[in-house]
Amino acid sequence: MNKSFSDKLKYFLKSWEMVLICIMAAEFIVFGLANAKFLRPALLFNSMNDFMSICIISLFVTFVMITGGIDIQAGAIVGLTSIIIGVSWQDFGCNIWVSVLMAVVVAAVCGALSGFFIAYCGVQAMVVTLGGSFLYAGIALLVSNLASTASYQGISGFPDSFRVLAKHKFFGIVPSQLVIFLILVVIAYILLHRTKYGRRVFLVGVNPEAASYSGINTRLVIMSTYILSAISAAIAGVVLTSYLGTAKSDLGSNFTLNIITAVVLGGTLSTGGKGNVIGTALASMIIGMLRFGLPLCFKIGTQYLDIPVGILLLVVVVGRSMAGHSVTQKLMMKFKKSKAA
Amino acid sequence: MKKLLKARELSSFLFLIALFLVVGLINPSFLSSENIISCFNDSVVYIIISVGMAFAIFIGEIDVSVGANLGFTATVVSSMLRDGENWAFAFAVGILIGALIGLFNGWGVSVMGVPSLIFTLGTNGVMRGMMYVYTGGAWVENLPAEFKQLYTVNLFGNISVIFAVTAVMVIVVHMLLKHTKRGRYFIAVGDNPAGAALVGIPATRTKVAAYVICGVFAAISGIVFSSRIGFVTATSGNGYEMKAVAACVLGGISLSGGVGSVIGASIGAVIMASISRLLVFMELGSTYDNTITGVMLITIVVVDSLMQRRNAEKNRRQRLAARTAEAGEGGNN
Repeated sequence: MNKSFSDKLKYFLKSWEMVLICIMAAEFIVFGLANAKFLRPALLFNSMNDFMSICIISLFVTFVMITGGIDIQAGAIVGLTSIIIGVSWQDFGCNIWVSVLMAVVVAAVCGALSGFFIAYCGVQAMVVTLGGSFLYAGIALLVSNLASTASYQGISGFPDSFRVLAKHKFFGIVPSQLVIFLILVVIAYILLHRTKYGRRVFLVGVNPEAASYSGINTRLVIMSTYILSAISAAIAGVVLTSYLGTAKSDLGSNFTLNIITAVVLGGTLSTGGKGNVIGTALASMIIGMLRFGLPLCFKIGTQYLDIPVGILLLVVVVGRSMAGHSVTQKLMMKFKKSKAA
Repeated sequence: MKKLLKARELSSFLFLIALFLVVGLINPSFLSSENIISCFNDSVVYIIISVGMAFAIFIGEIDVSVGANLGFTATVVSSMLRDGENWAFAFAVGILIGALIGLFNGWGVSVMGVPSLIFTLGTNGVMRGMMYVYTGGAWVENLPAEFKQLYTVNLFGNISVIFAVTAVMVIVVHMLLKHTKRGRYFIAVGDNPAGAALVGIPATRTKVAAYVICGVFAAISGIVFSSRIGFVTATSGNGYEMKAVAACVLGGISLSGGVGSVIGASIGAVIMASISRLLVFMELGSTYDNTITGVMLITIVVVDSLMQRRNAEKNRRQRLAARTAEAGEGGNN
């Protein structure tokens, strides 16, 4: 009993999540030393509002990437949800919650459509979601033309009951967005790691042929992951609209790099079959902290933030493929042997 | 096999003509020769970037960093020209930058074995940020007038010199690809990487070369871009990577690699570049631009994939029938 616990601990200490936790701790130390303001809880919690939507989407894009696919349309769906909420509320006089529900349903349909083409017609996920990102961004623009306000202004003036969704602070300090995110982490974790459905997602990613021979409806599983990621994008769209107080059609248009980086940094193999929700959650927080800390502590303009995120992505993927290379592995073996001797 | 390739380009060419005719039916003033020629003239940037993208797709990979590559090259070259540098030197620097970006992508994708979409997405982010670093977010303006006129010089009729040069270049590249040994490597590697390596084709080197070529073409399109637009902003070239992929797909290039031609890519690029003009003539306004692009892209890939699947099924049945009948006539592949 005792031994198995220590084994577990050992295993955990060696795991990728531990590395991520260390990176996060390093971020806190470096940013905290550079500017003590960074460590102020109120400011820290507040800053999370700015990147929570990316974290939320990354959680479910993990599902897609575990099946071996990719989803680059999620950003477009964020804008689509946002503008649907705005237009149906302002110009069609719907109740705000009805508008939210409608937007989520539309997003799910969008996800289902892309997922259908990918799973049932066998088109590469990359192309379909590329087309999807054009299509849904285009539809969002068309919807925004229905509004009586100019599209670049966005739609604002939402009722307080809606705005409180992302503005509320639990205990006067913990933002509700963080709570929503944590709830979604739990849901995603249970779904992926504790249910039959989650096992199927992994199996489809490892070997779709074998999965289908063992009686799994692989196509349905693949399609469902795209629906999930679209719904998560819709949730992010709702939260973002509520937080900003403005509905715009181009919200989320620059999320793709951040989402993919978060998922890959979280330990998900882009070829499928491996990945986990906790890793993605940690990685997305790391990226968020980076996006908050660099401007605050090192006076780096927000336009430049694609550079560190891009470099992070490149370093992680190259590093991981190096670790997989036989040469590096041999070196590691030698190293271990020399240590043992 | 050759026939099949021809058919793929032909179908996208027919699609282009059909598109023009439909718009012509709705608005007859579209079908003036002047207008159609300017459709072609205006698509030069897209053609060049799509030809480069075609190389990345031939080998079965993708390069989504070409948009940032275009933007960064345009920024550097334009600011050099503005400061009165020698033109040839500025162009050479631009092309060198493109080649280096391509080399980096090629290293990551083929030597390190990172999935191409993810690696080039990272490069894209870095280069986009570098544009801000280089300019500090300011526009690059006041380019020399002669440089801006370069784009508008006409040859005969209304055909611009730059379009004519591009067209010749596309044909030359096409010839090199189809009729030289090294040119055929690209298609071979994309068609069957393991098989290509077995018959002695340097697969890794070919892939790196494809990325370098892709980067160089993106850089050239960046130079043409700045000549055409006349200024470069920090967001120049945003989204061009997606349009280039779409152009290749429209031009009949299969994203699984090994199928297609640069002529197809160019036709696809003309379609992509003409969409906003077509929409104006259909009195729809450019707000439909993205929607139409998305619908076209998805429709074409889905139809293509379904047709390929049907063909594969048909071939399989034919083989089966031939085997059961024990006749040689059925096995024609």
